[in-house]
Amino acid sequence: MRGAIEFRDVSKAYDGTLALSHFSHAFAPGRVHALMGRNGSGKSTAIKILAGAVQPTSGTLSVNGHEVSFATPSEAFAVGIVTVHQELSLVPSLSVGENIFLGRLPRRGRFVDWSELHRQAAALLTEMELEIEPRRLVETLSLGQQQMVEIVKAMSFAPSVLILDEPTSALAAREVQHLFDLVRRLKARGVTVIYITHRMNELFELADTCTVVRDGHYVGTIEISDATPAKIVEMMFGDVAKASRPARRAVNRSNPVLSVRQLTRAPAFTDISFELYPGEVLGMAGLLGAGRTEVLRAIFGADPLEGGEISFAGQRVERPTPKRMKALGLGYTPENRKEVGLVQMAAIHDNLILASLDRIARAGFTNRARETPSVTRQIRDLGIKVADPRLPVSTLSGGNQQKVVIGNWLNTAPKVMFFDEPSRGVDLQAKQQIFEIMWAEAEAGLSSIFVSSELEELLDVADRILVLHHGRLVAEVTPETTNLTELYQLCMEGHP
Amino acid sequence: MSADAERTTPRGGLSLTMLRYFVMELILVALILVLVVAAPGFASLPNLLNVLRAVSMLGIIAFGMTAVIIAGEIDLSVGAGAALAGCILGWTCGALTDSIGPWPAVAIGALAAIAVGIGCGVFTGKMRQWFNVPSFITTLAMLAGLRGIANLISGGFPITSFPKGFNFLGAGNVGGVPTPVFFFLAVFAAMHVLMKYTSFGRAVYAVGGNAEASRLSGIDVYGTKTLALAITGGLTALSGMLIASQIGSGNGTAATGMELNVIAAVIIGGTSLFGGKGRIWGTLLGVLFLGCINNGMVLMNVSEYWRLVVSGATILAAVLLNQVLERGIKR
Repeated sequence: MRGAIEFRDVSKAYDGTLALSHFSHAFAPGRVHALMGRNGSGKSTAIKILAGAVQPTSGTLSVNGHEVSFATPSEAFAVGIVTVHQELSLVPSLSVGENIFLGRLPRRGRFVDWSELHRQAAALLTEMELEIEPRRLVETLSLGQQQMVEIVKAMSFAPSVLILDEPTSALAAREVQHLFDLVRRLKARGVTVIYITHRMNELFELADTCTVVRDGHYVGTIEISDATPAKIVEMMFGDVAKASRPARRAVNRSNPVLSVRQLTRAPAFTDISFELYPGEVLGMAGLLGAGRTEVLRAIFGADPLEGGEISFAGQRVERPTPKRMKALGLGYTPENRKEVGLVQMAAIHDNLILASLDRIARAGFTNRARETPSVTRQIRDLGIKVADPRLPVSTLSGGNQQKVVIGNWLNTAPKVMFFDEPSRGVDLQAKQQIFEIMWAEAEAGLSSIFVSSELEELLDVADRILVLHHGRLVAEVTPETTNLTELYQLCMEGHP
Repeated sequence: MSADAERTTPRGGLSLTMLRYFVMELILVALILVLVVAAPGFASLPNLLNVLRAVSMLGIIAFGMTAVIIAGEIDLSVGAGAALAGCILGWTCGALTDSIGPWPAVAIGALAAIAVGIGCGVFTGKMRQWFNVPSFITTLAMLAGLRGIANLISGGFPITSFPKGFNFLGAGNVGGVPTPVFFFLAVFAAMHVLMKYTSFGRAVYAVGGNAEASRLSGIDVYGTKTLALAITGGLTALSGMLIASQIGSGNGTAATGMELNVIAAVIIGGTSLFGGKGRIWGTLLGVLFLGCINNGMVLMNVSEYWRLVVSGATILAAVLLNQVLERGIKR
């Protein structure tokens, strides 16, 4: 059975946490299988095991009816399993043909046989019905064409299994159609395709089956012919218990603390206008790449703006920079806290006063004693588990690191906070604590914008939710008047 | 990641940090003990004061360079910059002594030299900010260019236009202690306070440790880097003028190759070339270490060629030691 894959009771543990737990499923050969689940659900782990990038902690994997155990990706390669990753792995400065045959260029004697290389490359490209000249440099191609080249490269290995990891996330609509045609041709040749996506419409257009994983567990598989979007959302999210949310006083919507008009930086986001009111928690929903982070970073002055107006506390802000916005009372906790939220090599103490150094110092002078009250207050108020604040911040767990990032900003006494994916990569308890901090601060008058890819978190935490889709603001909803399925639909399609 | 990271015992981590903190002190003490026994005359007071005089010019620049390297930048032009400062001072004295008198001429020349030094640092910082030219490249270009300018000013010959008594600054003594040592200690104290007890100094560490995180915390990243470079430019000019005073002339070939010794002293002192880590105190130890080892080898009649080999080996050994201790802490 060429192209048949079977997972039997496969588990994978990272540092004692099960990323994938007793996953069992057989993928039938020659079909297109969608694999769905939220971020961190375990679907990437399953794919990495199949591609040989990580090894399962327990359980077995069979390919073509034989039990296999891949120590490296090249072993998976050898039995015909090829992966096209979300990030392209082409060398932009080389030609299309050279990229396809990278590391195995056809040779005549000791020298590269260029004419043979381009002949073979052209043959492959024609076979896939792609009109791309093999001598062109990859950097001159559109993103969609590059994605096609990547797939042609994968096909040049004559795989029996092709794994596509969110291949359409960067593609324009027309290019998506090209890609789908390509996938259908591969399927017609008997190649098994495993397709990871977040987009419901693609699922119904392309896939034969849909397999859902949640929290590391196999939830189920349905034939697309029997499925509905609501059914799949239910499988992905399950019955979610509401977080215990305190009663909130009504938000006074007379004077916005932050108001933006027609913010634009194409193609990241276009014509974004909204208001944020005192004490409000405003949620921002959207798929990866919908422009949520880009909008927040632009308002904060971390990235440029092409057009639009920002008013902060009634004051027009002409050219925002992080320094200027901080002075006005805006704080921003970035989504990738490990890379840009913290100075990893520095002490917890130093990371907690990074943004407030100028407030704490008197005439530019500072010392530990002057800084310590700010540090201990955040450690106490936010419940950060710290053995000694002089230790490097890298010794803390993800949840505690996130609290340090938040504490760093609370020390600047902000009027408005942007929380960008504050719950990503933190455990359940820390997540609940972070939401409690947000609620308590909101109660004390702080306004915040809360970005999360976990839609049920937005429904639990926010007073009001804005939905972004392809860089545009497409909807505004309140948790009381919507539900998970509707919100998911809005994020994916851009309309109800 | 979570549980694993928290299991790193703070106790073990701290004691290793302590070892890393004091390892340079221990090595310096060991070196001094060896030299007291092996190098004839090393322990005498005149010789020790001589060592201090010899390291002062180097140290003044090295304290600034420490800030630059912690900020994640580098300045290769300090040797050439020191020569330029001496030549500017000499040329100004030659040009103005007749009209406004010798000491006013010295004052104007010194201000001009320091202004040029600060200007070079600002230039390097702005090249980085506006055109994304690495400081390594800008200062490599200035390493050649500034020395060329210094020689153009001096016409290729030493400028001996200083007033009588000017050599007191570089070659004189106060209460038996060489004059440059006072500058050296003053710069040490000022830089120590600046790096440890001001928001600017703390920002230098943050910027070198993670520039993007600092920017997103509302810190002026390029302003901080530029100020560190400007301070080093100013200190380079000060050092260059002390050298000119010591040798009695502004000389386009003075301080050739000094940048290597300055950077070596900073690195031996435990500052990371990757930025974000380092101490002014460590640089003081590094400077004294280099001074002692060079002086000791001279006293032991080690040939100049062997001294170069030992210097090179010392730099490598210091970096290796830091890397090994670092790994120890991580594990």
